[in-house]
Parts: sequence; C-alpha cells; structure tokens
Amino acid sequence: MAEVLRPQMMGARVSRLEDPRLLSGQARFLDDIQVPGMLEVAFVRSPHAAAKILSVDVEAARHLPGVYAVMTHQECPVMLWNKESYKVGQPALADGEVAFVGQPVVAVIAENRYIAEDAAELIRVEYQAITPVLDMRDAIQEKPRRVHEHAENVFFKKSRQTPGFDEAFAAASHHLTASFRTNRQTAVTMEPRGTAAMLDAASGRLTVYASTQSPHRMREDICNLLDIPEHLVRIIVPEVGGGFGMKAACYPEDVVVAQAALRYRKPVKWISDRLESLESDVHARDDIHDVEVAFDDDGKIIAIKDHLMADGGAYPAYPWSGAEGETGLAARVLTGPYDIPYLATDIDCTYSNKTPLGSYRGVWGPIASFIQEGLVDRVARHLNLDPADVRRRNMIRKEQFPYRNAARMIYDEGSYLESMEEALKLIGYEDFRKRQAVLRQQGRYVGVGISVFVEPTAMASSEAGEVGYESCTIRIEPSGRVTAAFGLGPSGQGHETTMAQLLADQLGVPLADIVVLHGDTDSAPYGGGTGGSRSGPIGGGAALVAGRQMRERLIKYAAHLLEAGEDDIELGDGKAWVAGVPDRSLTIRTIAQTAYMDVSKIPEGLPIGLEITGRYLPKRPVTFSNGTHIAEVEVDVHTGVVKVTRYAVANDCGRVINPTIVEGQIHGGVAQGIGAAVLEALRYDEDGQLVTTSLLDYLLPESTDVPRIDVHHIETPSEGEGGIKGMAEGSLIAAPAAVACAISDALAPFGGMVDTLPVTPDMVLKMVQDR
Amino acid sequence: MADERVEVVLQVNGREHRLEVSPRWTLSDVLRHQLGLIGTHVGCEQGVCGACTVLLDGEPVRSCLMFAVQAQGQHITTVEGITPENGLSPLQEAFRAHHALQCGYCTPGMLLTAQALLDRDPNPSEETIREALTGNLCRCTGYQFIVDAVLAARGQGRGA
Repeated sequence: MAEVLRPQMMGARVSRLEDPRLLSGQARFLDDIQVPGMLEVAFVRSPHAAAKILSVDVEAARHLPGVYAVMTHQECPVMLWNKESYKVGQPALADGEVAFVGQPVVAVIAENRYIAEDAAELIRVEYQAITPVLDMRDAIQEKPRRVHEHAENVFFKKSRQTPGFDEAFAAASHHLTASFRTNRQTAVTMEPRGTAAMLDAASGRLTVYASTQSPHRMREDICNLLDIPEHLVRIIVPEVGGGFGMKAACYPEDVVVAQAALRYRKPVKWISDRLESLESDVHARDDIHDVEVAFDDDGKIIAIKDHLMADGGAYPAYPWSGAEGETGLAARVLTGPYDIPYLATDIDCTYSNKTPLGSYRGVWGPIASFIQEGLVDRVARHLNLDPADVRRRNMIRKEQFPYRNAARMIYDEGSYLESMEEALKLIGYEDFRKRQAVLRQQGRYVGVGISVFVEPTAMASSEAGEVGYESCTIRIEPSGRVTAAFGLGPSGQGHETTMAQLLADQLGVPLADIVVLHGDTDSAPYGGGTGGSRSGPIGGGAALVAGRQMRERLIKYAAHLLEAGEDDIELGDGKAWVAGVPDRSLTIRTIAQTAYMDVSKIPEGLPIGLEITGRYLPKRPVTFSNGTHIAEVEVDVHTGVVKVTRYAVANDCGRVINPTIVEGQIHGGVAQGIGAAVLEALRYDEDGQLVTTSLLDYLLPESTDVPRIDVHHIETPSEGEGGIKGMAEGSLIAAPAAVACAISDALAPFGGMVDTLPVTPDMVLKMVQDR
Repeated sequence: MADERVEVVLQVNGREHRLEVSPRWTLSDVLRHQLGLIGTHVGCEQGVCGACTVLLDGEPVRSCLMFAVQAQGQHITTVEGITPENGLSPLQEAFRAHHALQCGYCTPGMLLTAQALLDRDPNPSEETIREALTGNLCRCTGYQFIVDAVLAARGQGRGA
C-alpha cells in the first residue's frame, strides 16, 4: 500500500534545484573563474576570407606594458585534424594562410583583456588576398578553385537508393520538383564561449575550465591534440549559459589557451566577445536540397529523390563537420513520419571560405522537416487537397511499428497520427479555415502550417560523440545524504533536478537529500556528455540502473538489520521498513552509518560503504520521439512582415520525467524555430566578409515575436530504461517547417510557396508581386 | 595611458565603494571584476542582449555600454541587490515556480528589467510585460514562462 501511495518523483512538476543560485546571481560561469595572476587572451583574427600570410610582425605588441606573451603558430604548432575522416585540418593558429574571416591568427596574452586588445591592434599581418570560394554549387564543381590545394572541395559524398526506386518513381502519375535553401544560422548562446586553463598547484596537472557540453570528450580532445596523457588533465565545466550543440566541439581557442597555460605556467583565460562568437562559433544549416517527388492521384507519396548539398566552411569542425551531420542524417530520416516507400539521395558536402559548419540543436532535423513538410504541402496544393488530409493518407500507422523506413532506419513505436489530430484540435483547425476565408475577403492573409516530426534521440553516436552509454556513480554518505555523479554536460536542461527525481524514487530519499554532480572529469564517471537528446534517456537510464543497484543493497541492509525478508522491505521518506509494520523501521542514515562506521554489522557478502557505479547502454541504437507543431501566422502583404500569432504542440517523448521542464524545452525550441523561419541568417558579402556581426544584424526572437504555445503531452514509452525518450531537439526540428508552411498557406492566393529560410520581408513581397 | 587610474565613488546595492578605475573600464567590468558582483552577466558588449542590465537610480541600463566613471554618485542595483538576505524575492520565487529560467545567463538582467517594471507599474498587462522585456534576449525559454512569472509576481512588491 505504502508503495502505491508514496508520491512518485518521476513525472512530477518539481521546481528546479539549480534555480536559487542562478536567480540570486551566485552561479559561477566561465568568466567568473578568477585566480591571482590570471592572464587574459585576445585573438587577432583573419580579416580576409582567403589569403596567403606574407609576414607577421608582433614586436610592437610584445613590448606593450602589460603584455605577457604573443603566440603564433610557431608557439602553438597544433592542428585540429581528425585524420581518420578528413584530408584537411585547421591549425589552432593560422599557418601561412587563412581560409575564413574570423580565423584565429595570433594570440596575445596580457594582464587583462583591455591590454590584450590594445596589443592585438599593434600586430601587423601582411596578407595577399586570393579569390574566395563562396558559392556552394560552384564549389562542388571545384570553381573558382579548390579551397585547399591538396584536397577536393567535396569532402563528403554519399549516395543511397531504395531498391526498385527508378521503376517506382517513373511509374507514379504525378511528379513535382523543388529546390530548398536553408541559410546559415548559429546557436548564439547567451553566454559566449570561453576557456581557462592553469597548472594545478598541488599536482602539477593541467586543469582546463571549459564551457562545453561534453567534459570527457573535451579531455580527450585536449589530450590528443596536445599529446598529454589523460590522467594529467582535469576538465571542469562551470555553469554553462547555453550550448545548443554549438558547445559540443573542441575549438582552436580551447587548444591555444591550454597550450598557453602549459607553456608559460600561468593561469590563462579567454572569453569570446559577440563579434568573435558570430564569426567563430560553428555555423549551421547552410544547405541546398534539389528534390523531386512522385505521388499518385490521391496524394499518396511514392518516392522522393534528393540531391543534398551542404557548405561545410573552410575546415571540418573538430572532430566532425556539421555538414556531414546535417546531410548524412537528413538523408536517412527525410521521409519523416510518412510511409514513403522509395527514397534516393545523393550527398555532396563542400569546403568554402566561410566559418566551419558544426552542430546546432536538431542538426539535420530542421532542414529535413522543412523539406519533408514542404513537399507534402506541394502535393496537397497540386492536387487541391487539404494538407491535413494528405498527411493522414501518408502517415505511418500504429500497426506498422517497428517501422523500417526507406533508408532502413528502424522507428520504435510513436503516436504520429494521434499527435496530429490532437494538435489540429488544439489549434481549432476547422474553425481556422472558416476564419481564414473571411479574413481573406478583408485583405488579411493568415495561414496555418502543420509540421509532423520524428526525432531520433539517444543515438549510439551523436554530436556528443561515439559513446553510446552513460554512467552514474551514487555515493550515499555516512549521513545518509546522496551524491550522484554523471558525465553529462547540462547547459540549462535541469539535469540536477531530473536525475535527482529518478534517484529519489529508487532510493526512497527526499529530493533535497540528493546532490547531482557533473562537469568535472575528476569526480564524474566516464560519459558521453550532453547532445543529441541523449541525457534524459541514456543519462536517466544510468540513474535508474545505478539507483536500482543501490536500492537492492539498501534493502539487503534493512532486511538484515530488521531481521526481515528482503521481499518485505519498503523504502521511502529516507527510511526502510517492514511492509505492514511501519514501526519496524530504520533510517537510510542508520544504514549508511552501519556501512561506513559499524562495519562488523554489514550483511555478509556486501562491501564496505555505499558506492556504486551503474552504466546504461540502450539496446536500440536510437529511439524516436515524435509530435506535431501547428503554427498560425499573419502575413502583412504590404510590409512583408510575418507575425506568428498562435502555436500548438502535441509532443510525445515517451515517459516524461518532469513535464514543466519538457514544456520549457519545447517553448525554447519553438522560439528558435521562429528565429530560423523568419529572422536569423548569417550573411556574407561577395568578398566573403561576414556582414552580420552583431545581434542588431543577426536577429534573435524577442519576447514579442513568440506567441503563447499550447502544449499537450502524449506518452508512448520507449522500450528502454524508464520508457524515456529524448526530447530537446524536436521542437526546433518541427518549428521552422510549421512556420514556413503557415506562410505558404497564408500566401496561397498569390500562388507561391516558401522554399528558402529564413523568410524575409523582401521574399514575402516578391511572392506577393510574382502572382 | 592605458593604465591611468581615476577615483570613482559608486553606490552599489546600498553600499558605498571608493574605487581606482581606468576611465575606459565599463561599469559591467568594474561590478564584476572589482566588486565581485558576478551576477551581472555580459552577453554581447554591444548593448543588444540585455544580460548586463542593472538599475541606475531605479531605471534599467546596459552596464556594458557605460563607463564606470559615468555612474559616479548614482545608485546602482544589481541582482545581488534585489536578493533578500535569506531566500528569494517574490519575483525570484515566481521565476522558480514558473520555470522562467533554463541556463540562467540572461536571468539577472531579466529580473532587473521586470523588477523595474513592477516598481513603476504594479499591475502590468501581458502585453506591457512583453514590451518591457523586448530588450532582454533569452535563447532558452521562448519567454512564455518568464512572462507567466512576471504576471504571477504582480502586486507582491520587492519582499523582504
């Protein structure tokens, strides 16, 4: 009985444990790491998209009072180069040539950032500019030249086709072609990147403070690149002010800072300013898809052919290029939630003279959804069918799970059609169509866009790396209080709360008695970190596995000390008791004191102490979350401005650990999706200069740009631990497509359809005038 | 030249500080590095993101766009200054209850902008709240829970 009545923390709307320090200004972010004698770094960056370096004169800078050292490639001869995958690497500091605007060339190390920047201005670099490679289609044809003389521009090429594709494609009664373009965007974490490094006074080891999503990955990268054994490096991740995939990579600046600390035996810190962020944080979404779709008279889609192209920038981000991630997975999940039997994809990823492409939340997904939903809407419009009906006709049905898609990805069970029907209800679809007709009569253009998404989560390999498992070390202290350490790298997702919720249920202790540790390779068990929506399902799975093992041990103790059978022991409220006899109880504290202090009473066969590391490797290589977003927009056909006015989400991420946190993730992803759909673009001019170098040029959604978002939860459990699926990317996967489809719907009377993101006012006006 | 120092007297969170600063040091840098008030965050140094918002005589300003010497004699309030000795203020409690923060980087600036709004208008509408917050960018929350928190904190004052 007690078991049933006890509140279950999993699924509860618990307020976050991390909030008080963040709300009171006590949280310590990277720039808050300060030790005596700490030096600061400013980088001299390339002003050219492509140039030979003829000379570098650092003498004036070196002699400026307050300057400690100046580093060029000679002082830091390190290449960020994953030789197994790419023919090209990026030198940490430029070596004889530069290949994008913002590439680090020289590092100045000074008493403070003001002096470092003064000195940076005194450095004279003589460049000989060369023709930049800026157009993706040209670059694929090796025009106007190769970006790197010794390597072809196309660095990732892959073709895949469902058997029987050509016959099926040719036999279909209708065909349409379209070309889709997503323009460069970037994550823009509110806390810019930063790194600090110092030699540990006690041990002489190197400590690197990193604003990263993956502590162990960062340790591995620093060790490999600087040739230091792992046990001599400690990574500490302080509070991280947003990551969104962008902080999953190891960057040249991380390496330079670590090298400076080693070389000069001084604490060294670098904090990016916003100009540096926009130029040198990995970019994303620079993709073109040339697509053909074949379908029958009823709108049943039979086959999709797609030439996927991505501009990977000047170098592969280390250790992976985002271009490969965006196209490689898009090609495998391009059919989304639809039962489309035939798919043919050709991928070409090219170098250019732009910032390297890396990961940004959703990676492939926002692009693939934009294409997949854009195609469905084109089919609907071509056949004059309702877009919701065409989706119904194509949707994968419950009885088809586990479903193998045309690219041979296996989908576990989801609620595809159900989520769409729910979202249609939330937005009031039937009523909307009537309203839309009336408003059109008045010269007002409103539209809805439906975006049904699948979200592969908890993948064996993701932006967080190739580590498919996660670990949790639980230590119950002699006081009965619990610390639980993970290799995760949260950046706002609330893992300290959600992991504690899972553990509280297993250990029968109050939430307040649990502290979740993360972000320190000295205390955390080895783990992959946070990325690819893996922390909930895999990290949470590790919490459940370790929690269960510890629970079993506590029960053994309680049975022994209370002289009862193990099956009769219950745990809760920090106590263990005999079922039905609540008086026969003892506290977890008593068990812990026995385990550490009164060791002669430890049950036979159990070790001293209460410490366990549990690991969890999901059986499936991926679990799919799903859902439907519906956006309503109003388009001002005179100004071209798009306003997102209403928004509904039906979301299914399996068993929910904390609905409030899930909703927060959805809201944030929708906001980023609205940015992706109508605001955010990194623009280069014809010389390869990035012209969007402030947040006045690169526009983020503000509080008035995001409408209220109505969220409904559906729970189709995964087959993994706890039934949990990942969920942090789905909202950004679905939202740009929802808004784009809504704009196409609003502008239907003018005939055009959105094919480029973001949709700018100029593009809207052109669609209106092209009628 | 770069290292010239001048004296400035700043009133921060009700305390007077006499400091030697370089005239070119921004207010945000002095608050953070000289006074250790690390709750003030710097997000863009271009005056756009609002993370560095502090109150100057009760009005929200960007501390990254001001030199510390310009704040001579004025009353500066940082997030530390709106935090009660024990626990959280009604607005901070509302932020927690409504999950109005994720990574927490924009949060101090958001709190100060919202507090200034509530100080001058104890009962703002949702539209007024959204307008007031347009100068503070948040990349995590999509703003809805922040707006909900400010709505919930209406009429409760600053607390202890």
